[in-house]
Amino acid sequence: MLNPLLFLLILLLVFSKINHIENFGLYALSGLVFWNFISSSILQVLTSFIDNASILKSINLHPFSFPLSAIVAALINLALTLVPFFILMFFLGYQLNFSLLAVIPLLLITAIFILGVGMALGTLNVFFRDIQLLWTTIIPAFFYFTPIAYTPDLLPESTRYLLKLNPFYYFIESYHDIFYRSVVPNSFNLMVCTLLALFSFLLGYTLFKKYRKGFISNI
Amino acid sequence: MTQSESIIQLKGVDICFYVQENGFISLKDFVLNIGKYSFLKKQFVLQNINLDIKKGESIALLGKNGSGKSTLLRTLSGIIEPEKGQINIHGKVAPLLGLGVGLEHELSGIENIKLSCALMGMTQYETKQLMPEIIEFSELGDAIHWQVKRYSTGMMSRLSFSIAIMKQPEILLIDEVLSVGDIGFQHKCLKKVSDIKEAGATIIFVSHNFAEAQNMCSKAALVNNGTITHYGDINEIGPIYHQLFEN
Repeated sequence: MLNPLLFLLILLLVFSKINHIENFGLYALSGLVFWNFISSSILQVLTSFIDNASILKSINLHPFSFPLSAIVAALINLALTLVPFFILMFFLGYQLNFSLLAVIPLLLITAIFILGVGMALGTLNVFFRDIQLLWTTIIPAFFYFTPIAYTPDLLPESTRYLLKLNPFYYFIESYHDIFYRSVVPNSFNLMVCTLLALFSFLLGYTLFKKYRKGFISNI
Repeated sequence: MTQSESIIQLKGVDICFYVQENGFISLKDFVLNIGKYSFLKKQFVLQNINLDIKKGESIALLGKNGSGKSTLLRTLSGIIEPEKGQINIHGKVAPLLGLGVGLEHELSGIENIKLSCALMGMTQYETKQLMPEIIEFSELGDAIHWQVKRYSTGMMSRLSFSIAIMKQPEILLIDEVLSVGDIGFQHKCLKKVSDIKEAGATIIFVSHNFAEAQNMCSKAALVNNGTITHYGDINEIGPIYHQLFEN
C-alpha cells in the first residue's frame, strides 16, 4: 500500500519532466497499482509450495490448493487496497465511467496469467531455490521495460516494437486503457492477454503436474 | 460390518523418492552441468509392501530411524502416491504426522483451532461444536486467547494434539507425536488414544518406545531394509526388533 504511494511520488518528481502527457499522475498510479499486484502476487504464488512445506508433508491437501489460495488472497488484498486508490484516483482527475466494468474480466485473465507464471516458476523453485532470487532480481528490470514510468511514444519509432516483446506490456496497457484513457481495453491487447494467460496456465499446470511427485522428497 | 473386515490393504506397493541426482539446489549448478545427469532420479524407499489390516486392529510400526516408517504413514494418508501396487483404504484417515503443522504464530489459540480444523476438512459447524472440547482437553485455560508465538513448545503441542485428536477418526495414524507435554498430558493423550481405539478405530502407531507400543498395540510390523520383514503379534516381533540394535 505504501510502496506504490512512495513510488508514485518518485515517479512524479523524476519522470513528470520527461513525460509530456496530460495527467501523468493518473497514468503512473493506474500502472503502478496493477504492476504491484502482478509482480507481488507472482512472487506469492511462486513461493507458495516452499512456504507451506510442513503442511504439504503432513496434511493430505491437494498441492494445487497452495498456489490457488495465494492468488485468491492476493485478489482480496487488491480489492481492499483499491478503495484508497480509487479515492486518490478521483483526486488525480479520474471520472467514473462504464469502461470500469471491463476490469472484472481483465482481472480474471490477469489472475490466470499470474497463477500460470507463478506455478511454472514455483515448481522449478522447489528444485532450484535460486529461481526465487533470480525472479526478484529480474522483476525491477521488467518494471522499466514496461511503460509505467513513461509512455510508449517517448521511445523512438524504430525501437518501440521492443516493448511488445514484454508480456506485461499488454496487461498494463489494458489497465491504462480502463483507468487512464477511460475506454474499454484495446481488443488486440486483450486477446494477447487471454492467449498469454492460457499459455502460461497450461505451461504452469503441466510442469506442476509432471514434477509434483518430486515435491515431498525435495521440499 | 464384521470385525474381521479389512480396512487397509496394501498389495505389492513400491514407494519412491524423486531426488536430484547430484543434489543441485541452484539453477546455476544445473545449467553448468546440463546434459551430464538426468534431472530427477528415482530412489526406492519402500519396496513390495504387503499389509492387510483388519478393522479395529492396532498396529505398531517398528524400525530404525530412516527405515521408511513415516513415508509409509504418508502414503497411507494419501500425501505420497505409490509408484506401483494397490492401496485400498475403507474409511476416513486422520493423520497425526507432525505437531504444530499449520499453526499460524501471529494468531491466537482459538483462531488456530479454526484454521487447523479447516485444514483438516471440517465444516464451520463441526468446528464450533468441537471447540469447547478442544479447549478443555488442551488445558490451556486463558492462554487459548494468546497469540501462539507466546506459547512454549509444550503448549503448542498440547494445542495441536488436542485439535488433531478430537474428531473420532476411523483410521488414526500416529507418528511419534505422543511423547509431548508433561507426564500428566502424556497420560491423558495415551488414554484418549485408547478411548478412540475402544470406540472401534483402527490405529497405526509409530514409536521408538517399545513399552508404549506394546501397551497400545496387539500387532506389529517391522520395517527394515526398505520392506516389511516381519508382521505379527507384537510380543513375537519385540525380540526381533531389539536384535536390530545389538550389532
